[in-house]
Amino acid sequence: MTYLTLSNISKQFADSFAVEDFNLDIEKGEFVSFLGPSGCGKTTTLRMVAGFEIPTSGTITLGGKDITDNAPNQRNVGMIFQAYALFPNMTVSQNIGFGLRVRKEPETAVKERVQEMISLINLEKHADKYPYQLSGGQQQRVALARALANRPQVLLLDEPLSALDAKIRVSLRAEIRAIQKRLGITAIFVTHDQEEALSISDRIVVMYEGKVEQVGTPFEIYNFPKTQFVANFVGALNTADAEVTDTSKGLLAVNGVQFVSSEKMENLRKGDKVRVAIRPERLSFASELKKANVLDCTIENITFLGSVVRIQVKIGDTKFNMDTFNNPFLELPHIGDTTQITCSREAVLILESE
Amino acid sequence: MIMRFRKIPFWSWLWFGLGVVYFLVPLLATLEFSLSMERDKIGLLAYQRAFEDKNFIETFTYSNLLAVATILASIVLIVPTAYWIRLRLPEARRIIEFITLLPFVVPAIILVFGLIRIYSSSLSVPFTEIEIFRPLTNTKFGTNILIVAGYMVLAMPYMYRSVDTGMRTVDVRTLTEAAQSLGANWFTIIVRVILPNIRSALLSGALLTFAIVVGEVILASFLGVDAFGPYLFLLGQHRAYEPAALTFVTFLLTWAAMGLIQLFTGGQGQTAGAH
Repeated sequence: MTYLTLSNISKQFADSFAVEDFNLDIEKGEFVSFLGPSGCGKTTTLRMVAGFEIPTSGTITLGGKDITDNAPNQRNVGMIFQAYALFPNMTVSQNIGFGLRVRKEPETAVKERVQEMISLINLEKHADKYPYQLSGGQQQRVALARALANRPQVLLLDEPLSALDAKIRVSLRAEIRAIQKRLGITAIFVTHDQEEALSISDRIVVMYEGKVEQVGTPFEIYNFPKTQFVANFVGALNTADAEVTDTSKGLLAVNGVQFVSSEKMENLRKGDKVRVAIRPERLSFASELKKANVLDCTIENITFLGSVVRIQVKIGDTKFNMDTFNNPFLELPHIGDTTQITCSREAVLILESE
Repeated sequence: MIMRFRKIPFWSWLWFGLGVVYFLVPLLATLEFSLSMERDKIGLLAYQRAFEDKNFIETFTYSNLLAVATILASIVLIVPTAYWIRLRLPEARRIIEFITLLPFVVPAIILVFGLIRIYSSSLSVPFTEIEIFRPLTNTKFGTNILIVAGYMVLAMPYMYRSVDTGMRTVDVRTLTEAAQSLGANWFTIIVRVILPNIRSALLSGALLTFAIVVGEVILASFLGVDAFGPYLFLLGQHRAYEPAALTFVTFLLTWAAMGLIQLFTGGQGQTAGAH
């Protein structure tokens, strides 16, 4: 059953729309990420759920109640900020207990809940420290505990990992996800980091210029992007203009080179111009295993990326990137070599026109 | 362990030395003069005489009470104003800054005559005999209200700037939103989140306000109150050594207050907003 609903939400600042006609239903206990570049409206949408911005139009319902016009302190919503926003004058325990004390809960209940939250984030030794005595990761865990202490109906996370270094970011996101699952709390996570969104979410909402581009599971978003923006923004991608040559056989020509795709072409006709996309990791050397598409190419460039080696090839006049796992015992081709690469017909995607 | 000291250039020392001389020489001269009341003898007679005077205790206590009242009233007025401007009305900052600078432009004598002119007669609803308030200058309580209001105006440039600077060091917006999402109302946010995090700025503003109120002469003289400023002024006209002694004592009190600020804000308060 839908727990949080955003219906036809728009937010206008002066002449421009930060968010336009945003619709989303979120189930109870679901972890949804808003993903998009800076200025796409993801934070504005989150702030409307929190009550810090009032929608120009549309409604927000939470647990069956319309909260569109409620003040932030009258919505039972927990918020975590990029800048941690811990109260510098309070210790870890006092920060976590703040919301409970505001609600005038009995002091024994407050202490019990604070202890429970401190155990949840494994900061028992730091309970009496001030925020400035903690690392960034520890501060954000305290912020998480503080937001959860009030037992909010929804947890909102506004780029909470952006200020942390790479390793802590990865471990903390796993911790956030584990805690969210354990407590079964509904969460909305705002990020511009696609890897973060893919790894943590039940569903992802990809946004661009105030509008929803695509909503889907991480698997759907990555493997079946519907628009050119989603395809380009989520993961690396090869895109090229193509011409439909045979709709019944799924044939397309990219600069004269024939590709076969498994995409449905019932709305297309021979000669139509389309945009095709192929993920770099779906391409491989044809010597290993030949698939539906076998393409002659020239090696243009080789970039070593650690676990992956990115090879740029030229097929006809079009350049494609191919990702292959690093294997120190296999010899890589050399720049200028001619070879064959291959991909399945399912790897050749046709993107929706903009 | 080898201690390395950064070499400080000659010119820095020179300017520092000149600054020290500029500030310390008059003070030492005042101290020396205040200790020389008895001929050919260094002693504390001037201090003894000054402290023995009943009027000193009375005026000093009264001025201190006025200072405390002014500080509290200024905090109540200025903290929410500066907070709201920072949070919701940043475009109004220039106007407010201009208003806070007015006491530098409008002399205290103009202020006090304005206050007397308006509040020495009763205010009625036009064309009726319904009195809104009676002349404030007619009663001791009314005069106290007037003088505190006047001192608030005089101290406003210092108090507002201290508070505003304090708020600049704290991420006011995010802390406010964090507190709101935890269920706090505006009063709770100001009292439990904002005020404690601008403590050092408040203390600085309070100290400056204290110094202004305790030494102020014009408002107190024209409103006819027995404050420390006019007392010191009168004493200076009739005596030589006691005013010097009291001036030095006032300096010591100021330094003590600055020491207290360091003591109270040297710890975690300094890290407000750091992350």
